[in-house]
Amino acid sequence: MSNSDRAEALLRGDKVDRVPLYHFLLGFCARNVGYTTVDMYNNAEKSFQAQLWTFEQYGIDGGPDYGYASYGGWEFGGEIKMPEGEWQQAPSHVNFPVNTEEDLAALAMPDVKTAGSLPLAMEFSKLQQKHGKPITVTLGGNFSVAGNICPPSTLCRWMLKKPDAAHRILQIASDHILDVVRYWSDTFGAENVIPNLWEPMAANDIISPKQFEKFALPYIKETNEKMLGMGIKHILYHICGEQNANMPLWAQIPMGDPGMVTFGHQVKLSTAIEYFGDSCIILGNVLPALIQTGTPQQVYDASRDCILEAKDAPRGFMLMPGCELPPMSPFFNVYMMKKAIEDFGYYG
Amino acid sequence: MASDEKKAEILKGLHDSVVEYEEEKTVEVANEAVAEGLDAFEAIMGGLAKGMETVGDLYVRQEYFVPELLLCADALYAGLEVLKPHLKAESHAEPRKIILGVVEGDIHDIGKNLVKVMFDAAGWQVFDLGADVKIERFAEEQKKCGAQVVGLSALMTTSMLAIPRIIKTLRDSDSTVRVLVGGAPLNPDIAASYGADGYADNAGEAVEQAMKMLQQA
Repeated sequence: MSNSDRAEALLRGDKVDRVPLYHFLLGFCARNVGYTTVDMYNNAEKSFQAQLWTFEQYGIDGGPDYGYASYGGWEFGGEIKMPEGEWQQAPSHVNFPVNTEEDLAALAMPDVKTAGSLPLAMEFSKLQQKHGKPITVTLGGNFSVAGNICPPSTLCRWMLKKPDAAHRILQIASDHILDVVRYWSDTFGAENVIPNLWEPMAANDIISPKQFEKFALPYIKETNEKMLGMGIKHILYHICGEQNANMPLWAQIPMGDPGMVTFGHQVKLSTAIEYFGDSCIILGNVLPALIQTGTPQQVYDASRDCILEAKDAPRGFMLMPGCELPPMSPFFNVYMMKKAIEDFGYYG
Repeated sequence: MASDEKKAEILKGLHDSVVEYEEEKTVEVANEAVAEGLDAFEAIMGGLAKGMETVGDLYVRQEYFVPELLLCADALYAGLEVLKPHLKAESHAEPRKIILGVVEGDIHDIGKNLVKVMFDAAGWQVFDLGADVKIERFAEEQKKCGAQVVGLSALMTTSMLAIPRIIKTLRDSDSTVRVLVGGAPLNPDIAASYGADGYADNAGEAVEQAMKMLQQA
């Protein structure tokens, strides 16, 4: 099977020859091919090309994708800084468009054709279409987009002291996600678009399961229902960080048929299968820090453990790191994930 | 001068208003402490700081999360603002000093800010360098203020690579300084491999870890 065939077969519910390999790895691709990290975020052509080359080299089956975790601030009128220097791996906030309730009251919905990174994301998706790759649009989950429009600490304070403001900004974030997905659906056909949503801020590292239930669950659920209502077939959700106590709540959220859910190392793959195995492809969850700082043998062993734990998930399994691949990962460590699949990932 | 009963009531009021993140109530009770002639240092340590200690325990037990901690911190600082001007110079010994900062390339500072609250509440003098702090600056600032401990925070796997370099510059400058690290991609093994003296899994554990490091020094 070719790399593209393998990922597509899994989405169709067909059998695959081996566990597919998936990565979100913009910064690593820049390093791999000799581009700058900034190229990956402000030059769609270079970003796409660097990923294609890297995917071919490492036998990666899914992607390529464009996006970054701070999504939302720039698009609503805030300022971001492209990565620079030795230690930055992605765009980061300079200032937020909303800091006060007055800012929130005056906040306008962005034009999805022109706002922030969206023109670049659209250019990238046209390259995905041209090259016959899955068309994805990467956004934050509802809670994370809200926490990128205003500082996360403000969203946290509002949840407890000014819940109306918290609900208002979450509704704005939700409406925006739908606006973007509608634009992509109108351009490429909803059945061809896979929204790729990352939700680190709703993790229990930050909020409680009760707060998740009140401030994240209703918005994520409704947004996903509406996306599926538009004709979207598959939603990829990166359920980032410590989310164990949220799992029964996440399981109430429709992700498509099948959906794709990816987890950090904090959530065991067996737990992910318990909650999502019947409805979603499970992706995960080699510890990113291990890929960056561990030995090749450690990465190989950790990848093997993931494969053996999840390869027989009912709707399928894709091996990937527990979050974005650290750009400074040793090249051979990244190869060891593929080697583990070659040794342990084949079916029947 | 307040009676013992009144003093206990005020200290409990300060404790409870911090734990219940009632900022206005904290200010009200702090003003009452001043009006009743309570020693400001005792009000801070026996009321506000005790409250923050309880908050730290609730956080470690996962009864409180970041939103509660942020609001408890707001209450703490509001109380400190009332009480600090009334501190007597001789009322407490020279405080321990810590420098805190998020390493170069990383702007995620919620964790560091929560750690700062815990050290403030425990009576340490905190030198907060903020986020995205250049490598050399930690050693420069440590030389200036003579902090016994430097706390380094990183949220990204890429930015955490700055930590061993910072530790080297600190050691080159002052071999006695102790380094505490924390942040999502770190764990005790990585911390040890980077040469850190201690690792805190969360803000609630940071002060205890720092105290242990100093005792071992």
